[in-house]
Amino acid sequence: MSHPPASRIDTGAGVCFIASAVIHLTVFLLLVWWGRLFPQQTAFQETYYVDIVNLPVADPQSGSSAQKSDDGVAVHPPAAPQAMTAPVPAKTPPKSITKPVKPTAAKESAETESAFAERMEKLESGREARRAEAVLDKLRSKQKGAGSTKVGMPGASGSEAGSNYGDFIKSRLEDALKVTSSYSTKSPEVVVRLTITAEGKLSRMKIERSSGDAIFEMAVRRAIDLASEKFVAPPNRTVFENGFIFKPRGISSGSSR
Amino acid sequence: MAIILGAGIIVKLVLLLLLSFSVVSWAIILFKFFQVQRANSESERFMDFFWKSKRFDAIASQVDRFANSPLTVLFNEGYSELKKVVEPDSKSDGSALSTDLGGVENVSRALRRATNSEITRLEKYLTFLATTGSTSPFIGLFGTVWGIMTAFEGIGKTGSASLAVVAPGIAEALIATAIGLVAAIPAVMAYNHFQHKIRVLINEMDSFSTEFLNIVHRNISGK
Repeated sequence: MSHPPASRIDTGAGVCFIASAVIHLTVFLLLVWWGRLFPQQTAFQETYYVDIVNLPVADPQSGSSAQKSDDGVAVHPPAAPQAMTAPVPAKTPPKSITKPVKPTAAKESAETESAFAERMEKLESGREARRAEAVLDKLRSKQKGAGSTKVGMPGASGSEAGSNYGDFIKSRLEDALKVTSSYSTKSPEVVVRLTITAEGKLSRMKIERSSGDAIFEMAVRRAIDLASEKFVAPPNRTVFENGFIFKPRGISSGSSR
Repeated sequence: MAIILGAGIIVKLVLLLLLSFSVVSWAIILFKFFQVQRANSESERFMDFFWKSKRFDAIASQVDRFANSPLTVLFNEGYSELKKVVEPDSKSDGSALSTDLGGVENVSRALRRATNSEITRLEKYLTFLATTGSTSPFIGLFGTVWGIMTAFEGIGKTGSASLAVVAPGIAEALIATAIGLVAAIPAVMAYNHFQHKIRVLINEMDSFSTEFLNIVHRNISGK
């Protein structure tokens, strides 16, 4: 039989049990207090959602789509291009709106209607002939560019969202070309057709025409590479295809044939 | 806290069981902590005192100062046994030789018995820590499985499997596993810690017994 000394101090099991219970109660109360201090944060998630919708204002492409979806009414009222194009056909019965129109309009009173028609036809055919030539892209792009700068709206033709997206891509390309631009000949020019997938990825890049300046061509390629990182998905999730005319001073978007 | 109150009866019972496991195991942890701590420190002091003093009776009079050390129990046992062996020798003179080996054997047995009883004392309640450590995760898991079963029953009744229907039930159920782990982890850690500490104390007791027997043997044979 062992004889434990009388003066042995064993902390009683009861004391330890009470201490343990107190510890558990303290932890529990701490948890409750913590829960009250930081209540559940479910309400914030909805706010985030709203923010996501409003955010794209900073982003040109998404902004246009947001406008389109949210307040399409606000976008459509400035239908300036339509209002401007309407009077032109009224002034000149045929559909031309090019420079040669002015002299004809001035001489209109002096000439007979048949002569006028003949003259117009001639002009038109001449213009068609010129169009048939290789300058087609250039001319059209010039017109478009002029239109967009004057009106402050994207080109009059085509769906509005698409034109906006084209401008967005053009602006990205311009930014990139500012970085990469370099050329050896006097006025190089490269026409490139870009295809952008519904996900906003550059899927195809084809050089349609080039002035033969290899250095500028290289610069254009690099600019497209650089810009393609910033492309976003086209509106309505459709494949976007458009030609772009690269020149040292800027880029104009050609038509997509 | 609504997550606990909203749980089913089985899950609540499991939680209650786990809570009691946790409370008891923490009580044991505290109890053992103080016990082992005192045993260690007083053993150290007792060994110092033991080697400094020359005589067993001097140590025996002072032994109450180190009452929490298991070594004092060993010393008391050994000393009382030694007295029993030696005293009849002084009464009935002339039989000193007979006590030679038998006396040492007796003391050795007494020391071994005392060592065993001290080990038992030190290891008392530790099994509960081991049990808590190994079973409470499973108990928690049982609660979770049961809770998820009920949650899926609810889904079957309402017919909608949206996250809003499934999530609360699963969250309630998972609480059980969480509490099970909360109960088990400290228990396992404490169990390992105390096992180690007690092994050290057992080694100390063994070496003390050998030292004590050596001293007794020297003295008896040197008589």
